[in-house]
Amino acid sequence: MTEHSLWRFSRALHRAINDRHFEDIETLIDEDVEWALYGPIDMFPFLGARQGKDAVLDVIRQLADNFQVRRFDRESIMLGVDSAASMVRYSLTALDSNKPISLRVAQFAQFRAGKLVSLRVLIDTFDLVEQALGRAIHLPKMSSVG
Amino acid sequence: MTVEKLNRQRVVHLLDAFARGDIEAALSCCTDDVDFLTHAPIDILPHMVPRHGKAELRALWQTVWSRYSEVRYKAPHIVAEGDEVATYMHTYFRKRSNDRVVQFDIAVFYTFRNGQVAQIREIIDSYDLVQQVLEREIGPLIVGAGVDGG
Repeated sequence: MTEHSLWRFSRALHRAINDRHFEDIETLIDEDVEWALYGPIDMFPFLGARQGKDAVLDVIRQLADNFQVRRFDRESIMLGVDSAASMVRYSLTALDSNKPISLRVAQFAQFRAGKLVSLRVLIDTFDLVEQALGRAIHLPKMSSVG
Repeated sequence: MTVEKLNRQRVVHLLDAFARGDIEAALSCCTDDVDFLTHAPIDILPHMVPRHGKAELRALWQTVWSRYSEVRYKAPHIVAEGDEVATYMHTYFRKRSNDRVVQFDIAVFYTFRNGQVAQIREIIDSYDLVQQVLEREIGPLIVGAGVDGG
């Protein structure tokens, strides 16, 4: 039974972020990949949409510059023929401050010929911002409009 | 038909029912003890607390429909395996108060039991959602008044 592309990609991504070993991940990304990590790009420049392998590799290098993955737990995972969806809980360390950051992330990936052609990632970004700030953001309760 | 195709159809049926405001039809797709959890700032969006059971989920969906007059969605990615289905959706909610549209992407993970949805887990770009619901940028508030000193 052939290994699903997600596993190869996941291993290579973590190796790129934690060990700055980018050779494996380079071979697993399609030249025309579409990539989007949704969130406030003014606070986190590595978030946002990217098109093409070079732009995506640049984002992965930025992630490696900023974070170390301490632990990840897949809470839910679904594998299609050339697609995958997962909900993963990541425990990260922000390298500039040595702060721990805990994130729950939804990932939707599509592959073609074993290479990543699309990745969409959603994060509970309000929680991410609060953790990065190290304090709560107090806003009025939206009890009637939200 | 495979269980994956069937569950995928069931999720689309639930979503279509909710989008047309037929809350009871949507609830009929769920188990009596359906468990709902969305990852969002519940101190700001208090109605988005965890919900357990049909009565609590009905109350949530009624709250949503009391505030929004139109709900639309597109689901460009649906992945199913066994008793689980994941959807990636673009959603549009029109506010009753001023007709403005809140537009956000959402990932929803469904777990089935005996052909019904027993668990719903959601992840949203919640920072953007709060800004749209509040109709203002949060950034200036973070550095300005009304924010804890760090």
